[in-house]
Amino acid sequence: MMENEARKNDTIIQVKDLKVNIKTDDGILTAVRGVNFEIRKGETLGLVGESGCGKSLTSKAILGINDKKCSAEGEIIFDADGMGQTDLLKLKPKGDEIRSVRGKQISMIFQEPMVAFSPMYSIGNQINEATLLHITKDKKKAKEISLGVMKKVGIANAEKRYDQYPHEFSGGMLQRALIAMALVCNPKLLIADEPTTALDVTIQAQILELMKELQKDFGMSILFITHDLGTVARMCDRVAVMYLGRIVESATALEIFKNPQHPYTKGLIGSVHKIGTKNQEKLFSIEGTVPLALNLPAGCGFYERCSQRIEGVCNVYDPTLVQTGGDHQVACFACTGCPNKGACGADGKEGGKDA
Amino acid sequence: MSDKKQILDVQHIHMRFNSKGVCVRAVTDVSFTVDEGETIGIVGESGCGKTTLGRCIVRAYEPSEGEVFYTAGDGEKVNFTKIDAKTMKKYRKEIQMIFQDPYSSLDPRMTVYDIIKEPLAANFPKMPKAEMDQRIMDIAAKVGLNTSYLMRYPHAFSGGQRQRIGIARALVLNPRVIVCDESVSALDVSIQAQVINLLHDLQKEFSLTYLFISHDLSVVEYISDKVGVMYLGKLVEYAPTKNLYGHPMHPYTESLLSAVPVADPEAQMERIPLEGEIPNPANPPTGCYFHTRCRYCTQRCKETAPEYRELEPDHFVACHRAEELKLKGFQYGD
Repeated sequence: MMENEARKNDTIIQVKDLKVNIKTDDGILTAVRGVNFEIRKGETLGLVGESGCGKSLTSKAILGINDKKCSAEGEIIFDADGMGQTDLLKLKPKGDEIRSVRGKQISMIFQEPMVAFSPMYSIGNQINEATLLHITKDKKKAKEISLGVMKKVGIANAEKRYDQYPHEFSGGMLQRALIAMALVCNPKLLIADEPTTALDVTIQAQILELMKELQKDFGMSILFITHDLGTVARMCDRVAVMYLGRIVESATALEIFKNPQHPYTKGLIGSVHKIGTKNQEKLFSIEGTVPLALNLPAGCGFYERCSQRIEGVCNVYDPTLVQTGGDHQVACFACTGCPNKGACGADGKEGGKDA
Repeated sequence: MSDKKQILDVQHIHMRFNSKGVCVRAVTDVSFTVDEGETIGIVGESGCGKTTLGRCIVRAYEPSEGEVFYTAGDGEKVNFTKIDAKTMKKYRKEIQMIFQDPYSSLDPRMTVYDIIKEPLAANFPKMPKAEMDQRIMDIAAKVGLNTSYLMRYPHAFSGGQRQRIGIARALVLNPRVIVCDESVSALDVSIQAQVINLLHDLQKEFSLTYLFISHDLSVVEYISDKVGVMYLGKLVEYAPTKNLYGHPMHPYTESLLSAVPVADPEAQMERIPLEGEIPNPANPPTGCYFHTRCRYCTQRCKETAPEYRELEPDHFVACHRAEELKLKGFQYGD
């Protein structure tokens, strides 16, 4: 139990039963349906899933920057400087407290660097914004700090670049500038929402390496959101796989790739051709598409597409994350055994440790 | 293998765009050949001229220089760059294109039925309606579209379904060559696998030839028989997939391969970094275009452009030092 204790002190953020509801014309759509995870100091957690599974909503809920029509429930406990353990969801979305966290202690890198910058202001100006708000009111000092970070993220000729506008930057350089903007306040947690999806492979590799280096220097934690399993393998210590607003499996990166349990995780890994193996076998494909999270039927969200579904169990009960050993958690009856031993019969695998 | 028929022969294609008095060389001196039933992957970073090359081949662009020979279904060899638009129309139905973005490549105001019908109606205006209907139904079923949804509009379909509509539209004319321009890049991985499998099955069934343009090196490795690597408008290497990925001969290919993140935490390659950024194609460097970023660069590379030559059978490369360099690729187990 010593280990558990130590882990608790190490945790920088804890998301508990997070739900995000979106009001639509057809009723309330629960896009995130009870997500639980924690990130430890200096660790990179990968949040993996396909579009529409709620990855971005989850990350934006942490910063409280979701759209007005979204409402979040649950708890997000962040170990904030000066405030101790704080539930970020309880803070007023426009209050001073969340603003001292947002951009300073938790910052975010967005997917498309071309869109994330305003074309009307120079790059330096936009990096300075955070510096002036959180670190110093002295403009000269702020410029110095901003230039320092720009150099750190590998923007050559920083003095000249400082006064340039976003259209004068290439995609890779702009992403560096965005990283500079996110890192200027030395955050404890960096949320990277598909930071390299829009970039070419060679630039992607540079940016990923840069993030790893900076993580070491600054000792920050990273929440890395992506749908690219290759990037996950390169970057993450632990991985949480999301499907339809839930985490269906979480484990260390090595474990996820070597020993995936959940049929969805298996499908995801199987549907990507592993480069360097001229395997001409058919790619595994998950049939069907992700259903809309509106009026979901009871049972597992993956039931319709699952190859291992147990009729009478998976479409009746809702699986929750169950520890299957070490750090590995899975929400699947086919992997952990069913909740109702009597109903399962011979198919239900050895009963289940969770019962 | 030797009885394979050549279907496309691209010879010294150049494409230059003039904008505000500046000449941008999008494609410079690209030559390669494609056999019938093969899949050719074209990879490279954005702005390297992959898409322009694809468009030159289907003659959506008029190449500035060079020739594209196409062997038609009846065995006749035609030079696409020499014939007029009217004659070209005869061959257009044999070469079709599938586009990148399934959202913007379908007209939102046309029903799926009309979208698939459009190429038929344009090429066979006299076809009886019943036959047209039949062909549309057949092809829709073949690509996995629910035929009872054909009267719906594209917005009612998901990305993967839309890409199937795009594929149906390209296939309805029974083409022989399909140029896929980043056709699966915008899709989620599980949907991507569905579409790739579909393309594979269709290729077998209709003995299609694909020109598969993509920046995704793992998809290209999976789907292609041969791969061409482009840099700054030039084809720098062209070889059978396994040769190219296993024994790259051009330094650019080497660093490109080393940059790909492998979906396995234990199999990460040591990255060979590329210095600097892609030069401006309006003002390319002297000598070898790649010399500004090449770690094997010599004085000779700065002065003279390397010849594009066949170093091993079927393995083409444009590098002065290709013979002496031992470049790293992926290690295939078998």
